Amino acid sequence: MNFTSFEFLAFLVVAVFLYRLCPLRWRPALLLVLSYTFYLTWMPKAALLLAGMSGLTFFAVRSSGTGGRIAPALILLLVGCLAAFKIALLFPAHGIAGLVMPLGISYYTFKLISYVLDVHWGKTSPEPSLIRFAAYVSFFPQIVAGPIQRPADFFSQLPSGRSSLWAAVPRIAWGFTKKLLIADNLAPTVSYVYAHTHSLQGLPLLMGFYLFPLQLYADFSGLTDIAIGVGRLFGINGPENFNRPFTASTITAYWRRYHMSLSSWIGDYVFTPLRMATRAAGNLGLAFSITVNMVAIGLWHGLTSGFLVFGLLHSFYINAEAFASRWRTRFFKSHPKWNVPGDLVGCFFTFHLAALSLVFFRCVHVSDAFWLLGHLTIGWANLSSFLVSVQSEISLRNLAIGLLGYVVLELGERFRPDLWVRSMSDSAPRWLRWSFYFATAVTLAFGLSLLVLHAGQARSQFIYEIF
Amino acid sequence: MSKTLDRMQAIFRDVLDDDGLILGPEMTAEDVETWDSLSHINLITGIEEEFGVKFTTAEVASLKCVQDLAVLVEKKLAPKP
Repeated sequence: MNFTSFEFLAFLVVAVFLYRLCPLRWRPALLLVLSYTFYLTWMPKAALLLAGMSGLTFFAVRSSGTGGRIAPALILLLVGCLAAFKIALLFPAHGIAGLVMPLGISYYTFKLISYVLDVHWGKTSPEPSLIRFAAYVSFFPQIVAGPIQRPADFFSQLPSGRSSLWAAVPRIAWGFTKKLLIADNLAPTVSYVYAHTHSLQGLPLLMGFYLFPLQLYADFSGLTDIAIGVGRLFGINGPENFNRPFTASTITAYWRRYHMSLSSWIGDYVFTPLRMATRAAGNLGLAFSITVNMVAIGLWHGLTSGFLVFGLLHSFYINAEAFASRWRTRFFKSHPKWNVPGDLVGCFFTFHLAALSLVFFRCVHVSDAFWLLGHLTIGWANLSSFLVSVQSEISLRNLAIGLLGYVVLELGERFRPDLWVRSMSDSAPRWLRWSFYFATAVTLAFGLSLLVLHAGQARSQFIYEIF
Repeated sequence: MSKTLDRMQAIFRDVLDDDGLILGPEMTAEDVETWDSLSHINLITGIEEEFGVKFTTAEVASLKCVQDLAVLVEKKLAPKP
């Protein structure tokens, strides 16, 4: 049951209806049943693993309590299980036949680890109810691709008597628009370039270089918008995952704006303990902790050489920034007129450094990435023959819709018209409020009609579903 | 408490490179742009050196705001009965 399928929308309508009818004290149990129903439609066998891991973690933590000795063994087991699946996927010929990654394992394992460590560190107390705990781990809006919500944040909102339709529906519609109008229209060009890297030169490679970051952002942030919006239908406000990452003027700032729920998770549970352990080693300890932190973010996506290079590149960027940060702050403080141009140049470099790392992220083999980067500037003379040869493969119309949509995306997220309306909604006259409701309904209908238009074609998967 | 906060403020100003920073008890990392996970441990080591105390990872992980840190420092400095 893909998020962009009619089955899912139908499931959602029934689920919200039932949830609103349900008395408060039964809501966690209903949420659990709904989440497992959703999960079973994807992978029935993997639901056993999800249930087993949730039960094991719940009872192990309850029996050992705060500061118990079981935490390290439990974390080793959880990480080991996640790593075993990621390793088995690398060797399909020698692995178990038909083995696929259990849906959401990278996300729910991280939820389980944060619960174990938060209780171990005394940040939160063990959850007394197995039903509430299992509902947290399997919460269906977040199971496909996050955002990774922290346990205390989730439990404080469950069960919720409040579920705001008007905070949820526009967000879901915005997510659908980003995925179907932008990401899916950019996808064919990106797929073509990355599938034929070695037979291409110049412009098409440059298009692959620039378009993939835009596609990835529209795709993944669209998926997160849907997840956050759907969560709100059940009164759960999930953490934000993106904050206009391509406006960041340093890579460090980029990671505070990109896949925030993962980067803050790794920051709290990998970087902070490592940095505490290595703080006596000064700068060497800092460099080591940053490197492990960024490589962990890379390898979380999969144990391939491409993700390793992605992580290493970011650890290099962030190390360089960390060691230059004092100098940088002082320079801009003593030269205030350089602040604005500095930010603009910073944005330009940050985008290109991120795009460079994403070439390794997207390529199947590291050698493809080197080919792409090494042939960006040559072959521009054969441009017309290239355009003729790809006419059947790449639709310029799709590409134009995708790019135009991307401009709307950036403008929409910069000016946030939804916030203007919400900020004046209480004091606004009724006709204005209802125009907003009407506009929202039209947006939703537009999103749904896009779904209908796409229904005949093979709909592309969300990129972050497979991690 | 205010004396502890004053001494902490000097460390915060130095590590976060902000001479005008006024440390409030309710302040969190979200309130200061340069206070991120990289500078956080520098603040912790700065405070460890200033007050001659040692923190554990669990203690650092449980901190929610400046007040928590000040309370923790004073608890460590209090004479053992």
